[in-house]
Amino acid sequence: MSTLLSLQFQLKDLCRATQLSEKTIIEIVEQGIVEPAGESPEQWTFNTHMITVTKKAYRLHQDLEVDWPGIALAIHLIDELEQLRKENLQLQQRLSRFTSD
Amino acid sequence: MEFRDYYKILGVKPDADDKVIKTAYRKLARKYHPDVSDHHEAEDKFKEVSEAYEVLKDKNKRADYDEIRQYGSDGQQFQPPPGWRSSQPFGGEFNRDSQGGFSDFFSSIFGAAAGDARQQDFSRQQGFNTRQGYGQMGRDIETEMPIFLEDTLNDESKTISYRLPHYETDGRVSEINKTLKVKIPAGVTDGERIRLQGQGSPGVGNGPSGDLYLRIRLVPHPLFDVEGHNLVITLPLAPWEAALGCKISVPTLMGEIKLSIVANSQTGQRLRIKGKGLLSKTGQGDLYAVLKVVVPPTVSDESRDLWQQLATTAAFDPRQQWSQSS
Repeated sequence: MSTLLSLQFQLKDLCRATQLSEKTIIEIVEQGIVEPAGESPEQWTFNTHMITVTKKAYRLHQDLEVDWPGIALAIHLIDELEQLRKENLQLQQRLSRFTSD
Repeated sequence: MEFRDYYKILGVKPDADDKVIKTAYRKLARKYHPDVSDHHEAEDKFKEVSEAYEVLKDKNKRADYDEIRQYGSDGQQFQPPPGWRSSQPFGGEFNRDSQGGFSDFFSSIFGAAAGDARQQDFSRQQGFNTRQGYGQMGRDIETEMPIFLEDTLNDESKTISYRLPHYETDGRVSEINKTLKVKIPAGVTDGERIRLQGQGSPGVGNGPSGDLYLRIRLVPHPLFDVEGHNLVITLPLAPWEAALGCKISVPTLMGEIKLSIVANSQTGQRLRIKGKGLLSKTGQGDLYAVLKVVVPPTVSDESRDLWQQLATTAAFDPRQQWSQSS
């Protein structure tokens, strides 16, 4: 039985999980790409979703050669796009229930 | 193995300068990057494009490739000429994300890729070089986990099985099936990821294993639609039920409940049934019943007479607003 579910992470856990340096993660937080709870880096706590976002941000930064402010914008827009796509699917599904007999 | 024409992949001429190559790469990378593209072959296309760029952006690797290119052409079987050795020491420094390795064609020219960008970023901080005996962390694996709405209400034990690379002692890589029993916590949401530390691909050398991420997908329900933590059910009503009001049984995820419909209800009205939605971190969502008045598809002569009688006595004009505005 595997119950290795951990839901809150410190900065060093995030470094391990993403294989990124503290410096890179601090940059990502300063850009507002992920927003951990806590005031200072020593107190920051992250959740699983933030790991995914951090990894995605770094991939885009590397692969598309886009600077961090550009990545912050891209991540924001991708989020919004995903949200709208999801909403659109939901509304389509509900509409189909309404229009079909 | 197949020969790869990196110039063709980037859509540039063989004499293109660095600037043209960079622009071509950036355009294609934006188009096919798996994080931004919904192209069905995005991941494969992106790998192809980044492999081509990895070679063509580097003066030495490009020179090696140009030499090799004389011996092969696109899509044909290819073997490097006997005695071929890249001029790059250790196969060069590869700037590689861990989404997957390069092709066999690439490895045959430049050797197996060593280290990726993330590894390098992390190891710099740790003060050691991953290539000097400390090994390399295994790749993270992400797999989809379909969950029925009913199963999100309580902690749920699920058995998952997924494929993992397995490194043989002779260095060969095979794939094995791994089965794991996982507790899915109550209240998970669509798209949420659950991380299982150390359950991903094994590390190379002394490197630790990567992690396993389960991406939750809520299976579409025949009756309920999900709206955040709330559920929505479409509730069909006969015209007389809507007009006169009634008490009906409505299914919820937790079993049937009785619901009162007030007289003169309309299609599209939403009735809130408190606490019968999905579980969330902040409490329980609600169920909304959306009313839909349905007219019987066929009527008997007797019913038609009754409808006719109603039409005469009700004196109701549903398009009254039209005549007001014209």
